[in-house]
Amino acid sequence: MDTHSISRRPRALGAVTSGPRDLGAVNWRGLWTLYLKEVRRFLNVFTQTLLAPMVTTLLFLAIFALALGGAGREVDGLPYIQFLAPGLIMMTLMQNAFANTSSSIVMAKVQGNIVDVLMPPLSAGELTLGFAAGGVTRGLMVGCAAGAAMSIFVTLPMADPLSVIYHAVNGALMLALLGVIGGIWAEKYDQMAAVTNFVITPFSFLSGTFYSIERLPSDWQFIAHFNPFFYLIDGFRYGFLGRSDGSPLLGYAVVLGVNIALWALAHRMFATGYRLKP
Amino acid sequence: MRPALAPPGPRQFGPVNWRGMWSLYRRQFLHYLRNTGHSIIGPAMTSLIFLAIFQLALGDRGDPLPGVSLAAFLAPGIVMFSLASGAFEGAGVSLFHDKIEGMIGDILSAPMTPLEVVGTLILAAAGNAMLTAMAILAIMAVFIEIPLHAPFAVAGFALAAALLFASIGVIAGICAEHWEHYSAAETFLVFPIALLSGAFFAVSRLPAEVQWLFKANPVFHALEGFRFGFIGQAQESLALAAGVLLSLVGAMGILAWWLYARGYKLKV
Repeated sequence: MDTHSISRRPRALGAVTSGPRDLGAVNWRGLWTLYLKEVRRFLNVFTQTLLAPMVTTLLFLAIFALALGGAGREVDGLPYIQFLAPGLIMMTLMQNAFANTSSSIVMAKVQGNIVDVLMPPLSAGELTLGFAAGGVTRGLMVGCAAGAAMSIFVTLPMADPLSVIYHAVNGALMLALLGVIGGIWAEKYDQMAAVTNFVITPFSFLSGTFYSIERLPSDWQFIAHFNPFFYLIDGFRYGFLGRSDGSPLLGYAVVLGVNIALWALAHRMFATGYRLKP
Repeated sequence: MRPALAPPGPRQFGPVNWRGMWSLYRRQFLHYLRNTGHSIIGPAMTSLIFLAIFQLALGDRGDPLPGVSLAAFLAPGIVMFSLASGAFEGAGVSLFHDKIEGMIGDILSAPMTPLEVVGTLILAAAGNAMLTAMAILAIMAVFIEIPLHAPFAVAGFALAAALLFASIGVIAGICAEHWEHYSAAETFLVFPIALLSGAFFAVSRLPAEVQWLFKANPVFHALEGFRFGFIGQAQESLALAAGVLLSLVGAMGILAWWLYARGYKLKV
């Protein structure tokens, strides 16, 4: 009787819906919204974010092809251009994954709209995943575009597709996470430019994209093995050509280990609010 | 009772507003100095990396030109690339940024003729890019041996190239309506002509069918003269190079001045 009378009362619809939305373990909607924001941000200016890297990569290919004068230069029995192409794809993939997350976070911080990301009910893990996934998406899209454009000029075999995919995804993830970390650390555009100029550009250019590291003096070869980007480029190239400078298995492990460490660091930065929450 | 002060009349200046030009130049220069990370350190770092990767990738292929080491051949090319893109960016970004932020009004309403404004913008961007180029050369000289054959050719061709790209930068800055337009000009015009200019390889060694493509590129001519100043040999006649460059500087400078004077996409 009692319950019946309650059910006949007009239901307080407003009161029910204005309560906190029940999110469950993961705020999927929030995560998806953040991811979409990150992706639309670069798709909006696709000339700068997709076409420009593609053209620049082709320019590099052209310069090296011309500088070699068409002579039959070989690296380990492979035509040099074939050796170069996977490295260039990986390099542009990495630089773009980094650019996406780092510029997004630094711009939001400088302009003050970072609160729009910090205020919503998103956990540190969801923030890390949302930003990183945006960077990975851009990196992979640029990589595919550059690869498609290059395959017009260079025949690229595919010796081990799994290795190609593994290194492409992990390379994009590594640089996207580095971009998150760099973006949170930097307080001005100038500091971000310093990270790009002194860390990302040198490490990505000097990681065996343009030459086999066997060409380096032996002390430098030893140092080059401490550059995680070397394993990304080497493993990615292995996936196409079936030859590598380093051991492929070690490469898989190093890449995975570095990514776990970077993920933990990025997660911790979001969780503690380092340089994000005053 | 104090005598009434006469209201100050308009400031008098002669046929050229030197103070206005100096103020604008100073602003552009200070802006350049404030962004050392972007304007000097970044290009210097990129140049050194280019030098390293080309040495490592091509070092075993012998001299690109008879009697010229690869490093001595590459250094002028890399510096010229940095000079051209730096002059373009210095003029283009600054003008475009002022335009979308609305600060262009401060320049448009100043008592300066279009010639004074455009001339100063071009000179400032060219001067800043030359400073960067000198810094890069100085850093490179630490690592490699750079010969110097004719300093005047170096300075003259560097200045001509810087003026040319600063003028193109002004034109791009005036014409662009979004960052997209500006960066498209950079990616699809400036980078290709600056990179595919024979900076990294001797054009005379290419097959004859593609050589003409490079000889149509103004950066090729600028680079020929600039590199001649260092290594003392050129693949082309220097008089032709100087002629091509000077006429292009004139044409682009006049176009920039004309666009600004008309107020094209500047005055609503």
